[in-house]
Amino acid sequence: MKDNSSQPRVPGRWFAAGTIFGEAVLVAALGAAFAFAANQISPRGLALTRDYFPSGTTHSVRPVASDGLPSAAGTNSEALSPADFLAARMKEKGLQLLDDRQAARLFHEPRFPQGAIVFIDARDEEHYQQGHIPGAYEFDPYHPEKYFDVVLPLCQKAEQVVVYCNGGDCDDSESAAILLRDVGISNQKIFVYGGGITEWTTNNLPVETGARNSGNVRTNDK
Amino acid sequence: MKIGQTSQGRIALDTSAVLARWLLGAVFIYMGLSKALHPVDFLKLLRQYDLTQSSLLLNSMAAALPWFEVFCGMLLLAGIAVRGTALALIAMIVPFTLLVFHRALLLQSVLAIPFCAVKFDCGCGGGADFICRKVLENFLLILLSTWLLAGNGRQLSLRFNLLKSSS
Repeated sequence: MKDNSSQPRVPGRWFAAGTIFGEAVLVAALGAAFAFAANQISPRGLALTRDYFPSGTTHSVRPVASDGLPSAAGTNSEALSPADFLAARMKEKGLQLLDDRQAARLFHEPRFPQGAIVFIDARDEEHYQQGHIPGAYEFDPYHPEKYFDVVLPLCQKAEQVVVYCNGGDCDDSESAAILLRDVGISNQKIFVYGGGITEWTTNNLPVETGARNSGNVRTNDK
Repeated sequence: MKIGQTSQGRIALDTSAVLARWLLGAVFIYMGLSKALHPVDFLKLLRQYDLTQSSLLLNSMAAALPWFEVFCGMLLLAGIAVRGTALALIAMIVPFTLLVFHRALLLQSVLAIPFCAVKFDCGCGGGADFICRKVLENFLLILLSTWLLAGNGRQLSLRFNLLKSSS
């Protein structure tokens, strides 16, 4: 490796500021080219022109306090409780909100196994595998092209479509619901289960691990 | 004796500077890769700053920033264009730290908790952390970058100055 230590140091240390600035600009330009090329090549790369947040890019995620509990309000909803915040957000997006009792009732209806009610899990594959509402279909709104073939015909046939994610600050279920609405699923039959899988497991309702209909169903009952 | 001590001090300083360059390079490669491997997560975190209404711009930032960090980290490890890279990093870290600081102040006012008790994932690459620790980390990164910008860390570098006239 080349050692440049023999070059004069003190006199020119700050003298060539313009050259250093030029070097920084060059690094920035080459770095940007490298970055976009790497993103393009990467199988996990982002599609630059895709709208990953159909409900808006500036919608703030509610903060988490130091005790790890979701905060009472977000940066743009200081006066609202979490439930009110969620309801207001749904209304703003023209979506219908489902509470835990309604979600559980739909889950236990005989129409669910018949396909008239469809549950959609709007989380990524890893979380889906770790545990989802039994019979729910995976639909990651950040990679919808992978799931449309399976999910769309089911949603078109269904009378009610229940979309959920983690609950709390997660708004991926809303993104998924809007995606489904945008591709022609009637808004009247799309419902967002706001409490999500967190509330579902807290209520000791069954959770299926692994693939859909894997048979590995458990509850939190001890 | 005095000359020997000065020489030893010089060697120690040079060694420290090279180690600092390598450390900084490794940190940026690690932080960059941790985001580049989960770009959607980083995109969601970046979104919390309400930087832009344009999805194209937001996607571009989320796509490019992690790999840019990796690129700068590799340059620092190899010792190529060190001063320019250090300046580019400072130009990136300072505004981002101000954004994180601003976000933390906002959270503090909403949560009504002490500033240092504010904890959130700033998208820096290390997951959720207390704001004071994060600001301190960023301050150290800026400090190390400034040290390299001043011309230190030349030893074991492939091409310390990419443009010839910078001394």
